[in-house]
Amino acid sequence: MLVVAGEQRPSDRIALARIHAQLFEPRATVWWRADRPSGFDFGTGAPESVSDAAAFISAQATQSEGEAILLDDGPPNPWEGVGPYGQGGNGMMGGTPYGRPMAMTTDDLRDGLALDAYSATFGPYLTQWPPGLIMETTLQGDVIQSVRIVEAPLAQDLLAATPHLELARLLRLLELPALADRLVRAALADPARAAAGLARAVRWTGLLAAIPSALARDESGGDVRSRTAGRLDALSAGRPADPAAPGDLAAMLIGLEWHEAALVLASFSIDELRGAIASPAVRMAKGAA
Amino acid sequence: MFVALVLAAYRAAGPRCSPWPQRLPFLGGGEADTHAWQRYHVRFYTMTLVFIAFEMEMMFMYPWAVVFVEEGLKALAEMGMFLAILSLGILYGWREGIFRWQ
Repeated sequence: MLVVAGEQRPSDRIALARIHAQLFEPRATVWWRADRPSGFDFGTGAPESVSDAAAFISAQATQSEGEAILLDDGPPNPWEGVGPYGQGGNGMMGGTPYGRPMAMTTDDLRDGLALDAYSATFGPYLTQWPPGLIMETTLQGDVIQSVRIVEAPLAQDLLAATPHLELARLLRLLELPALADRLVRAALADPARAAAGLARAVRWTGLLAAIPSALARDESGGDVRSRTAGRLDALSAGRPADPAAPGDLAAMLIGLEWHEAALVLASFSIDELRGAIASPAVRMAKGAA
Repeated sequence: MFVALVLAAYRAAGPRCSPWPQRLPFLGGGEADTHAWQRYHVRFYTMTLVFIAFEMEMMFMYPWAVVFVEEGLKALAEMGMFLAILSLGILYGWREGIFRWQ
């Protein structure tokens, strides 16, 4: 089941259709507080309130509707190979099967080992990342070689800016979903109330020790670990976390492994990320540099 | 005969070919620019080899424990030589930096 929550950008229509197509049969869609983009005239709308919507979605999960996929059932690029299984074609690397070139080697940033580089657009619906963020990334193995930020994350409501939900995103990345759920429940109950007990429970998991040291220093000298510690302090004191400025976000991610990059993105609030990726002109300049 | 049966059962009961949009890698709505056939740097490769060396050493030591009861000091000396050679190899690898995660 695909649950679409909140307003979607018109430019993300194809990405949403791709996510819908990648669900297996029988697929069903639930729209929650969302206007359906043009062409998406299927699925059911969920009630507005959070608890009603949760009950509605779990009730829908048992029903199989079987929606058809929106995208054409054809190869994304025309067939350009010679043999029947993608082999053949011109060049040493065997041509361009289905219009996509084979990965070519570049030198690794860390040890100079020449291996294949993989370029892809990630997002906007990647679970590990802030919702709406689109990045064109070239990976070599799990090391990020280059980053171009295409779209900033989507604006979130005030609840998402509480230390509760910011920590919950990080906890889910570190495979601690039960604690993340507790934080979300506490935020839904009263986001302004101090939750020292919860902050202690999070500290006792060894969260801070699990984060690599000196990862992604921002303009004020803080790293992922210190920003997370700041969120924990804010949670136990019942106040918003201190702001941080990512600076050049794309440059910060280069040379990191995939899991480190996900931690870096989760260590900033959505607003801080949106601030760092201000205008399309800045995005293009960063991409070119 | 068996292979033919398995293949026939797979044809009869197996899933039909997925539609094209489903054959893409999951990138959260994004699309890949390069083909997925690529070589990947296995950074734990040398550590894996060291692990296998230790595994084989342990496999020698279990039957050796039986021999040790019969032979005594002589078997102990032989195993000592074997472990010394292995340890030299590990020290050499350490000097060459195989335990550094690159």
